[in-house]
Amino acid sequence: MTTIDIELLSVSKQFGANRIVDDISLAIPKGKFVSILGPSGCGKTTTLNMIAGFEAPSSGQIRIRGRDQEGVPPEARKIGLVFQNYALFPHMTVAQNVGFGLKMQGRPREEIADGVSRALKSVHLEGFEDRYPKELSGGQQQRVAVARAIAPSPSVLLLDEPLSNLDLKLREAMRVELKEIQEDLGMTFIYVTHDQEEAMAMSDRIIVMQGGVVAQEGAPADIYGSPRTSFVADFIGKSNILPASAEPGADRNLKVSLGAGKAVLTAARGDDVAPDNVRFCCIRPEAVRLAEAAGALDEPANRLTGTVQKVVNLGAYIEAWMLVDGGITLKSMIRSTRLEKLSAGCRVDLAIAHSAVQLLEQ
Amino acid sequence: MAVIICSTPTKPLRAVVPVKGLLPLIAPSLVLVLFFAIPMGMMIGISFQSQTEGSPTLASYSRFFSNDLVLAGLARTVVMSGLVALCVTVLAYPLAYYLARATSRWRTVIFALAIAPELAGVVLRTYGWLIILEDRGFINSALIWTGLITEPLPLSKNLFGVVVGLTHVILPFGVLSLLTSLQGINPNLEKSAQILGASRLAVIRHIILPLSVPGIVSSFLIGFTMAASAYATPALLGGAGFKVMATMVYEQVLFYLDWPFAAVMANVLLILMLAAGFIGSRLESRLHQKLHL
Repeated sequence: MTTIDIELLSVSKQFGANRIVDDISLAIPKGKFVSILGPSGCGKTTTLNMIAGFEAPSSGQIRIRGRDQEGVPPEARKIGLVFQNYALFPHMTVAQNVGFGLKMQGRPREEIADGVSRALKSVHLEGFEDRYPKELSGGQQQRVAVARAIAPSPSVLLLDEPLSNLDLKLREAMRVELKEIQEDLGMTFIYVTHDQEEAMAMSDRIIVMQGGVVAQEGAPADIYGSPRTSFVADFIGKSNILPASAEPGADRNLKVSLGAGKAVLTAARGDDVAPDNVRFCCIRPEAVRLAEAAGALDEPANRLTGTVQKVVNLGAYIEAWMLVDGGITLKSMIRSTRLEKLSAGCRVDLAIAHSAVQLLEQ
Repeated sequence: MAVIICSTPTKPLRAVVPVKGLLPLIAPSLVLVLFFAIPMGMMIGISFQSQTEGSPTLASYSRFFSNDLVLAGLARTVVMSGLVALCVTVLAYPLAYYLARATSRWRTVIFALAIAPELAGVVLRTYGWLIILEDRGFINSALIWTGLITEPLPLSKNLFGVVVGLTHVILPFGVLSLLTSLQGINPNLEKSAQILGASRLAVIRHIILPLSVPGIVSSFLIGFTMAASAYATPALLGGAGFKVMATMVYEQVLFYLDWPFAAVMANVLLILMLAAGFIGSRLESRLHQKLHL
C-alpha cells in the first residue's frame, strides 16, 4: 500500500473575482517525483504556495501526512522549498545557508555540521562550505538551494521551476541529478514547471493543469500516449490535432472523418470515448510514418498518399509537413538517416497505425 | 505647387554621442562655487579674524574650547542628534518594512501619510508640538484637569521637547532611506527562512535585520546630521532652556555681533557632521562588503 504524503481535497483559491485554483483534488504518494505542469497562469504556483502555507485555500482542505494544515504556518509544516531564483541568504556562507534549517530546529553544533556536509555531498558541492552565494555560478547556487532545502530532512520537497534560470546544457544535466537525489533520499518531490520535457524526463507522475483545474493526471507515458484533451495533447509533446467526427466502423474499429470529411481514417476503438462525443483527433508526428519505413509495422494501419510541403532538418530528425490526399496537413517526424532525398514536392506513401489515431472529446 | 525634394545628406550622419566631458557640470559648479564654496571659505576666513587686531588669530578657537557654556552646547547637540537619530530609525523601521512588503491599496495611503508631514513647514509643525507640549499645552492641561498631576510636567524647553519635535520632522527621511534598503531584500529570502522553520521573529533577526543594516546606518546618519543642523525646532521647542549649536550661532551673529566666534561654532558643527558622515559612509561600505551584498 502506498502512503499518501500530501492530499488536496476540493481546494480552491480565489483572489477577488478571480478563481485561480478551482476545486482541485490530488493525492501525492510518498517517495514519488510528481510534476505539476502547465502554462503560466494555470494556478500551479498558487497550488504550491498553498501546500507550503504561504497562502490559505479559499475552500477545501490540504492534508500533509494525514493531518489537516488549516492554520498551520509554513515554518511548522516541515517541508522543503526551492525557488527559481535560488533565494540564498547573501550574507551567509554556503555552510550557514545549508545549516539554517537545522539551526532553526535548535540542533547541536556537531549535528548541524554533519547535516551540512551530508547535504552538500548529495549535491556534489563538497569543499564549498566557506564560499558566499555571490561567488558561485548559477548552477552551483541552485545546488546550494537544493542542499539547504533537503538538509533538515523534510519528507516533501517543493520545487518551483528550479531550473528555469539555467542554460540548456546545465538544465539537462541537473534534471538527471535532481532525479538521482530524489531516488537516493526517497523524498517526495513536487516539481512545478511549464517545461513539458523537464516533467517528462523526471516524473513518476504528471499533473497537467489548465485554467485552475487538473486537465489530466497520470504517468508520463500515459499522458503522452493517450492525452485526454486537445489541450494536453498540444501541451505535452508535438502533435497533429484536427477537428474530427467518428462513427462505428468494421472490426470494432471507428471510422474517423477529418477536416471537411474527405479524409477518412480508421482508429482502434478506445474504451473511454463514445463515437458521438468525438471532437478532435490527435496523431503524434512520429506516428506518421513513411510507408517504406513502416513495412515492418506489425499492426493494422491507415495507408495514405500525400505531397511533402516543407522539410525542416533537426539533425537527428526530419520534421516534414505533408499535404495528404483529402486535404489535411500532417506533421511528421522522421529519423533522418536515410531520408536525405526527401524534399518539398515529393510524393510519399504514409502509414498511420490504427492505434496511433487518438480520439478526444474536447 | 509644392515641390518635394528628396536628397541624401552630403555628409554621413553622425551618431549621437552621449556628452562625456565636463561640459554639463559647468552650470551647477558655478552655482556651487558662488553660493556655497566661496561663503564657506569666507566663513573659515572670518573664524580667524579678530575684532580688535588686524592679523589672523586663533583667539576665537581658544575661546571656544575654554568656554564651558559653549562646550556644554556642543555636548547637548551631540546627545540630542544621537537621540533623534535613534528615535527616527526605531520608529521608521516598522513603517518602512510594512511599506516595502505591503501590496494592498493601503500601501499608497500610508506612504502618503508618512511623507505628508514634509508638506507642512517645519515652523508650523513645531508650533503644533508647542501647543501640545507647553506648560499650559494640551497634555499638561489634560493631566491637570484629570487631577493626575498638580504641577505641569516639563515637556518643552528641554531635551525631551526638542527630540520629540525633531523626530517628527526627520521621520519621513528615515522612512525613505530604510525603505530603499528593505525593498532590496528579496521576499523569497523570508519565505525560504520561514519554510526552513524560522518563526517571524527569527526571520527578522537572522535575515531582515542583518540585510538592512546599511539602511539602518544611513537612516541614523541622515537623522544625526539633520538634527545637528536644525535651527527652527530647537529654537522654538528648546528656547532659552535648551541651547544647541545652531541656536547659539544665531545668537552670536544677531545679538553679540561676534562674527568670528559664530564662525568658529559653525565650523565646529560642520566638522562634527563631516566626521559623522565620514564614519557612517565608511561603515556602510564595510558592511556592504561584510554582508556580501
